[in-house]
Amino acid sequence: MSVTVNGKPFDDQPAPGQCLRTFLRQLGHFGVKKGCDAGDCGACTVYLDGEPVHSCLVPAFRAEGREVTTIEGLAQGGALHPMQQAFLDAQGYQCGFCTAGMIMTAAALNQEQKADLGRALKGNLCRCTGYRAVEDAIAGRRDTEDARPGRGVGHNVPAPAGPDVVTGRARFTLDVAIDGLHHIKLLRSPHAHARIRAIDKSAALAVPGVVAVLTHEDAPATLYSSARHETRDTDPDDTRVLDDVMRFIGQRVAAVVATSEAAAEEGCRKLVVDYEILPAVFDPETAMQPGAPRLHDKGPQARIANASRNLVAEMHGATGDVAQGFTAADAIHEGTYFVPRVQHAHLETLCAIAWIDESGRLNVRSSTQVPFLTRLELAHVFGLDRDKVRVFCERVGGGFGAKQEMLTEDIAALAALKTGKPVKLEFTREEQFVGATTRHPMKVTVKIGARRDGALTAIEMHVVSNTGAYGNHGMPVLEHACSEAVSVYRCPNKKIDGYAVYTNTVAAGAFRGYGLPQTGFAVESAIDEVARMIGMDALEFRRCNVVRKGEPMIGLHEAPDDVIYGSYGLDQCLDLVQAALMRGDGDEAPPGWSVGEGTALTMIDTVPPGGHYSDTYIWLEADGTYNMTIGTAEFGNGTSTVHRQIAASVLNASPLAIAFTQSDTDHGGHDTGAYGSTGTVVAGRATQRAAEALRDKLLDFAATQSGVDRAQCKLAGDAVDCGGKTIALGELFRIAEAFVVDLSAHGTTNGIPRSVAFNVHGFRVAVNTTTGEVKIIKSVQAADAGTVINPMQCRAQIEGGVAQALGAAMFEEVVVDTEGRVTNPSFRHYRIPAFADVPHTEVLFARTSDELGPFGAKSMSESPYNPVAPALANAIRAATGVRFYRLPLKPDRIHAGITAAG
Amino acid sequence: MKPARFDYIRAADLAEAHDALAEYGNDARVIAGGQTLMPMLSMRLVRPKVVVDIMHLPALRGIEAGGNGIRIGAGVRQAELLAWPGLAEHLPLLNAALPWVGHAQTRSRGTVCGSAAHADPSAEIPLCLLALGATIELSSRRGRRRVPAADFFTGMMTTARAENELIEAVHIPGKQAGSGCAFKEFGRRHGDFAIVACAAIVTAASVRLAVGGVADKPVLRDFAIDDGKPLDEALDAFAWALDARDDLHATGRYRRELVRQMGRDTIEEARRCHA
Ligand code: FES
Ligand code: FES
Repeated sequence: MSVTVNGKPFDDQPAPGQCLRTFLRQLGHFGVKKGCDAGDCGACTVYLDGEPVHSCLVPAFRAEGREVTTIEGLAQGGALHPMQQAFLDAQGYQCGFCTAGMIMTAAALNQEQKADLGRALKGNLCRCTGYRAVEDAIAGRRDTEDARPGRGVGHNVPAPAGPDVVTGRARFTLDVAIDGLHHIKLLRSPHAHARIRAIDKSAALAVPGVVAVLTHEDAPATLYSSARHETRDTDPDDTRVLDDVMRFIGQRVAAVVATSEAAAEEGCRKLVVDYEILPAVFDPETAMQPGAPRLHDKGPQARIANASRNLVAEMHGATGDVAQGFTAADAIHEGTYFVPRVQHAHLETLCAIAWIDESGRLNVRSSTQVPFLTRLELAHVFGLDRDKVRVFCERVGGGFGAKQEMLTEDIAALAALKTGKPVKLEFTREEQFVGATTRHPMKVTVKIGARRDGALTAIEMHVVSNTGAYGNHGMPVLEHACSEAVSVYRCPNKKIDGYAVYTNTVAAGAFRGYGLPQTGFAVESAIDEVARMIGMDALEFRRCNVVRKGEPMIGLHEAPDDVIYGSYGLDQCLDLVQAALMRGDGDEAPPGWSVGEGTALTMIDTVPPGGHYSDTYIWLEADGTYNMTIGTAEFGNGTSTVHRQIAASVLNASPLAIAFTQSDTDHGGHDTGAYGSTGTVVAGRATQRAAEALRDKLLDFAATQSGVDRAQCKLAGDAVDCGGKTIALGELFRIAEAFVVDLSAHGTTNGIPRSVAFNVHGFRVAVNTTTGEVKIIKSVQAADAGTVINPMQCRAQIEGGVAQALGAAMFEEVVVDTEGRVTNPSFRHYRIPAFADVPHTEVLFARTSDELGPFGAKSMSESPYNPVAPALANAIRAATGVRFYRLPLKPDRIHAGITAAG
Repeated sequence: MKPARFDYIRAADLAEAHDALAEYGNDARVIAGGQTLMPMLSMRLVRPKVVVDIMHLPALRGIEAGGNGIRIGAGVRQAELLAWPGLAEHLPLLNAALPWVGHAQTRSRGTVCGSAAHADPSAEIPLCLLALGATIELSSRRGRRRVPAADFFTGMMTTARAENELIEAVHIPGKQAGSGCAFKEFGRRHGDFAIVACAAIVTAASVRLAVGGVADKPVLRDFAIDDGKPLDEALDAFAWALDARDDLHATGRYRRELVRQMGRDTIEEARRCHA
């Protein structure tokens, strides 16, 4: 077949049935991305004879004799296409996985279409940005500043990867051509609970191209958890690479390795498995009862709290006497709230490539937030020396917690070790829903009492968290859920009981907010109700009752000593949101719709408990620029920009003079990982320390060389200014080399102590009481992020968090039927917010400076998500008079609620 | 995901396409834009032995406006129809509904007739064809026939097309002078497929409402001209007659409520443009 791609003729033959997307990637056009299985996401958008199409929906043979343009061919004659430049100027991306497709679509819009972006961009999904930055780009707004010396902390320095992202050159996990690459496909369990009696592999092995079929017989017996934490005993050892017991529909049964994906799939279809069906349980409260089917028959070494009751964790805490507290209350609200499963829906699905190199070392290139912890666990599971394992990532296409999990690397490692071949495993979008992880669904009963004067008298909370078939993150998510949502309130009497329960459903795992969005929905709804009962404004009621700087934070227990108020801006956040709502701006409500306002708050520890480590190495290069290695991974959260800014500020250099590589265990040192909102506050601190140490070295050395007093020497861009006499850094490097002086430095942190960050959200909504439709007419979030290192990026993090949270609040739910099967495993049926679904959010920052974070910064990647659902529910309550106890707040539910209330 | 193996026949002319369909019957699938067929092939929801490509056939090209209405050939892409200068004048209902179909990228490839052939009960094009009293032109080796849309859509993704037939075109009567029309759709969110979609056509003598997304195919009802309460009652009866079920996206009760509300709104809007 002959086809022209970006002006170049190709005469390759597509495989039978191959789609244009796969064909183009095979030809090396890795800018064409795969985000779904069926034309739902737009990441694969290219032009066919100048018209934008989803290349995954076009048969490759249809390109015969035609002209294809991919993102790589959009720039003409060395100059960026104006739309590429616009995305660069506005930083219209975060992880960048959707960006090539988004730019292709945007570049083809006419004026009329640009006026109705909601419609025009309906075929392009972005999970990171909340679309505000995309809109800015298309409107030609410039949000970035030029990087130059002195433009470090506090400036809108653009992300280092920008030019690669907008041209499609950025390399994500699978954007690499490897000779002899083999493909892995997984056979997944059709039964919710079953024991494998036998697997007949013969027909599968007979499929041409299949080289191996791996089952539990091939997998190590070592038990582990797919969850990754600094200390591996945080999570229970309840998982095997391949198990002989199936505990949910979708669990991996076997892995087929073949020379092509089609052969691997065919191999899976040819496997014959004999199952002994076991009784299954899907409801966590039933699973806790005596006599319920037991999921994990494991001893104490597995660290399961109570295996016979299916409890992966159980926790209880109390302070004061809640019974007395409720007696003293003038108003009490008690309600049971339910927060369902949602999926992260990062656009780059989970994937990994593994191979054994010439030295016999296992290499894994993975889409992960935790390369270092994954290496340690692979070494543990496969009994390898840790030096025999390398894990690294290229650019990661979104994570949101989902990639703090080892769900592909283990299988890929097994396949590479068994076959000796380079192997690739890529989850389909469907597998993301049935075989990855979701947020923990929780049922939260909360009872809150207060006196008429506004003082809280008692808070009681009972949490049942459904961890699914495996206990990964079950305990720490529950612990987190039982902490800050309650400890942010001053109240003499509190009682909390929490249970994390195994059921025969797809496993839950780490998800942005880590338990707080679930309990926060209950607590913040209840606070709103109590305020109504005593006739007090809800923000005022919160103001009366939130902890103030220095006061003890008591949730399940008193917060550990290492949590301190590094700064406190909650009061400012409450004021900012109140003022913004009072301003009365925003959209008009459609005539006849009911209007209401609602608010909610969240507090979050800036670092997870138990220590969080990071190392940065930095050195001067011969040309007088700097280079560093950073442990933490970039998955769209913008930390690499921030690290450059921090180093640039310390070294008084241009951010562009600082090169870096990151997230590779080969760089040495250790990095706990990009989770728990630590990319800036922990890893950034390591970079700050490394840069400071290097600055001191440079100045010391320059002082000795110039004979000028050290106090008179300062760094000035690409030189040292020694009391008026300048030495270029390149020169300094040469002198140092001659004297064998080392101009490199190392910085490290352990994440102790930790601070707290705050967010307050406010909505004004209009509700059509006859259809249940909700329109957000004003959205505002105030954040206490300490010193904002990059206001544009921080705003974008908040907008993206709000958008993702709105999806979960308004329409997202992974539906599991009565047999434990996920019934909506695609973007067609599990809809994530598109451009038109996301309102503008006004983002405001409190003015604080944290004493712990680098340059006074605090974390701001998970917490913007947390207050959104309860603020929305409270606004709908105000508009309709109806309290909604269950997410998502879909129009049919709202309609039913209003009808039931008469 | 990879489709099962199939042979690809790029038909040289209509006769060859007809031959392939005659030979393979249900084991053959016609591909035009491929926007529905491609994912169905990949997910192995369909496993044809042959895929017959008709997209390039000149006989199937073109939109023709004549005395008897507008003929839209099977090769006409949705984007092409949207860009057709006569659309607003001759087919105002489709002009209102087409922007709701899929998204820009799928409209670049997807065809009008392909959507009719697929017969998704919540799709906009079948709904409009029904409301407009269109006919579907089918052909096979044995000849040619025209089936009214009301008889063509027989159920959930099923049609009156025989397995040896292909759709050659749809014929839509042009706008009746003095008529007004409107299209409304309610999705769980913008861009989602319809929970309920309504198309209304109002003339001095008649009120017609077609509803998609509720029953297993689009359904049409003509109402007596009458203002006020009786229309509400008729709409209520229509809403119940649609036999709405609960599914993943909405309850049956909610769909009935939407039919009542949106049905009335759509009819009123059609009246306004009629007036
Ligand atoms: S990969 Fe083509 S639309 Fe998602
Ligand atoms: S930037 Fe759009 S999906 Fe990550």
